[in-house]
Amino acid sequence: MRAAYEDLFHLIEPLLQGVEKPSRYIDHEWGALSKPDARFRVCLVYPDTYEVGLPNQGIAILYRILNAQEGISCERGYLPWVDMADAMRSRNIPLLSLEGAAPLASFDVVGFHIPHEMAATNYLETLDLAGIPLLSAERGEDDPIIIAGGPSVYNPEPLAPYIDAFLVGEGEESIVEVARELERSRDEGLPRAERVARLARIAGTYVPSLYEVAYDSEQAPHGHAVPRADSGAPAVVYKRVIADFSATDPIAQSVVPYTELVHDRLSIEVLRGCARGCRFCQAGITYRPVRERSADQIVAAVARGLEQTGYDEVSLTSLSTTDHSQCECVLDRLNERLAGTGISVSIPSQRLDSFDPELAEAVAGGKRGGLTFAVEAGSQRLRDVINKNVTEEDLDRAMRAAFEAGWRRCKLYFMMGLPTETDEDIVGIARLADHVVELAREIVPKDQRGGVSVSISVAVFVPKSHTPFQWCGQLERDEVKRRQQLLLHSVRSRQVRVSYHDADVSLLEAVLSRGGRDIAPLILEAWRRGARFDAWSEQFDLDRWRDAASACGIDLDRVACEPYEIGQHLPWDHVSPGVSPGFLEREYRRAAQAETTPDCTRTSCTGCGICPRLGAENVIEGERK
Amino acid sequence: MSEENLFRLRVAYVKQGRLRYLGHLEVLRTIERIVRRAGLPYAVTQGFSPHMKISFTSALPVGTASVCEWYDVYLETYVPARRALASLRKASPADLAPYAAGYVDLRAASLSAALTHAAYRSTLELNDASALAGHLPQGAPSVGRALQILNALKAHGCITYVRGRKNKKMDLVNTLDGAMVTEFVREKDPHSHTESLRAPKPGEIGDLWGLALVTRSSEKGALRPEVLIRAWEKALAFWGQAGNHGLGAEEVVAEILAEPLVVEPYGVFAHYEVTRVSQQMETKDGKLVEPLPRPQDASGR
Repeated sequence: MRAAYEDLFHLIEPLLQGVEKPSRYIDHEWGALSKPDARFRVCLVYPDTYEVGLPNQGIAILYRILNAQEGISCERGYLPWVDMADAMRSRNIPLLSLEGAAPLASFDVVGFHIPHEMAATNYLETLDLAGIPLLSAERGEDDPIIIAGGPSVYNPEPLAPYIDAFLVGEGEESIVEVARELERSRDEGLPRAERVARLARIAGTYVPSLYEVAYDSEQAPHGHAVPRADSGAPAVVYKRVIADFSATDPIAQSVVPYTELVHDRLSIEVLRGCARGCRFCQAGITYRPVRERSADQIVAAVARGLEQTGYDEVSLTSLSTTDHSQCECVLDRLNERLAGTGISVSIPSQRLDSFDPELAEAVAGGKRGGLTFAVEAGSQRLRDVINKNVTEEDLDRAMRAAFEAGWRRCKLYFMMGLPTETDEDIVGIARLADHVVELAREIVPKDQRGGVSVSISVAVFVPKSHTPFQWCGQLERDEVKRRQQLLLHSVRSRQVRVSYHDADVSLLEAVLSRGGRDIAPLILEAWRRGARFDAWSEQFDLDRWRDAASACGIDLDRVACEPYEIGQHLPWDHVSPGVSPGFLEREYRRAAQAETTPDCTRTSCTGCGICPRLGAENVIEGERK
Repeated sequence: MSEENLFRLRVAYVKQGRLRYLGHLEVLRTIERIVRRAGLPYAVTQGFSPHMKISFTSALPVGTASVCEWYDVYLETYVPARRALASLRKASPADLAPYAAGYVDLRAASLSAALTHAAYRSTLELNDASALAGHLPQGAPSVGRALQILNALKAHGCITYVRGRKNKKMDLVNTLDGAMVTEFVREKDPHSHTESLRAPKPGEIGDLWGLALVTRSSEKGALRPEVLIRAWEKALAFWGQAGNHGLGAEEVVAEILAEPLVVEPYGVFAHYEVTRVSQQMETKDGKLVEPLPRPQDASGR
């Protein structure tokens, strides 16, 4: 029998005094929606703590949309932090939704957000706490249907055995179609397997149980998924794209949290998609085409959103907000409107090639905190390889302008282990950082030089599916460590602070990004050995994963580092953001020649194939500079 | 805008239900958001990082409820207090709702300085009331013994306790003006999760204690009910241990306070709740008054 939908808050209340941040578990926030007497119930779960998950725009959008549907109620769930999870487990208290404090197992649907690869064990931790069988194949008629979607859905295979159906791409429309279909099939009394199979008829829905793994050869250890005979499932599931982005509500948020969050502000998604074409970037492919909201819509949404939420900060979010053709005009109008209210406007980051100190000041409410720029690579050659179209002159000009305008602190982001990278490129990173310090020495008055700080943060490149670098392997861990040392020793100035990502974490990220369905048992084994919250460095332990890998007969380093051959089937070929394989291959070859490719919102079509495949197109409000 | 042209609106609100688990900073941030949602013409500080001009009463610990919290928010234009209160109520979660508002003199002392008297009520659920009674010295009603410990704590004068990595000292001589303990028996309705309380019949042992504390604060500090309650609990637990029954209350207290108190459960109380039930200020002639001279109550509290 299905668990009863009932309020069990009294079970967790006695635990609240003894755990960190009890406000994570109490609900009752301003704007929380609930429908005590709905016919069909969905619980959307972010696979991390409340304060990490609450700002997520994807869940916020779907939460609003589902709750606006007649008869459907949508609640939220988060993964309790380890202290609470352990306390609940030891008392046999099941995981509860937030609004109704009802067991997750009592919902019709539990939907996971997939934010990134490192959340893998948290889905299992969530299901286990909820008392729901971990494997789709083991779930019974009364268990909820487990769906998942989000930015990291573009290689679903490592999670395939745990999820009944993946929703690929923009969920605004498909979540409602999926919910309605499941409501219908439940009311018709169909068996679970058939209800799940039917979801495959909805465009953009990948039902793993309808596919089997095929192998090209012994050299393709991960295999690739093909539809089972007579399943009727499509050979390739293309992502959904909504018909008209500008017709969606620009205010995604409804819930105003009590707990302090990392992103504790109103967010307005001003633009979706980015066509800059950085070759390492998955979002740059999977969010296309590029669609802008109009300045009028943005300004009106900010005013209405602030009124509804009472926030004192609004962020204009997107993959690259300063690319919006009306960015300056929007900021001017907002700053005029918000003058004297103590409310500030922010944008996620600025591009080096278009950095404007006036703009930077406008978004910081006159404050001069730290500036951050993504430079990505240490030489022009390598920046051309990755199609990061910024030059050393851009960096020079931007940093001069920033120091002259009174900024003192900056952080530069780089990657290590990019395809074709040599020691010269690594030394180039140090040289750029030293150059910025020299600029500061030249421009900043002597008495203020103590405040100057230049930090560089170096991530390890993780090859991602559906990018021109999807065939590449990750740089071997020992070589990563050698290059990190090389970088440290190449920096001359003592004013440069160097930080780099943990090579262990990056290795696992690559395994989970590049592997196929064969990686799924590894996740289960690692979770059994205590892995959870792997995205938190204090919780992550590669040894658990190494143990699990040897139990599964998997070589982590090989999965992460062995390149794929062009022409070979890839584990993610059957789930596509619409990009044409020929385009990715062409881009890969151009990369090897260090040939750049322009941005199609500024020049003409570069032939990625996404618009024709998805029946969509770029929507640009003005003229992009 | 210069200070003199501002209007100082004083607002009373509750912190109750699940929202008593909010931390002080979470409450402050939420109230600022309520003021903005209410659309009040709040004043903003000058300088690089402008923020709302608003001030609050002293922090309530996580888990402590209150029916008498206050804040002063400075407005640039006059809004009738009733109307301001109505807007604030509309913009507020029920468990943090304001219930009174009125204007006070711009030169009046700040809330945190003026509100020197606070009273708390606590309900303490005993882990195993009969076992506890068995541990206490024969023939004495447990509540009476509990009160003896409280008096002994007061006589001891202060409690040194551990907070983070530091030891802190909480004075009791100048902060604890009175304490009272009563005993209740709980009657539960098995169908709903509601319950009612009644006084024990003769010979019956209560399963809940009610604690009332009357406290006073000064620049030297205030009483923290959770510290007092844990010290009290530790003393009761110690007294209940075999071999300690013959000790006097003063000896028990001296023993358990010999080392800095770790503020954590000691097994006597299964669960307790604390509510701040009043905050008052003292006039020059020693009278205790509410923070709003004539509460311009719009809600019929």
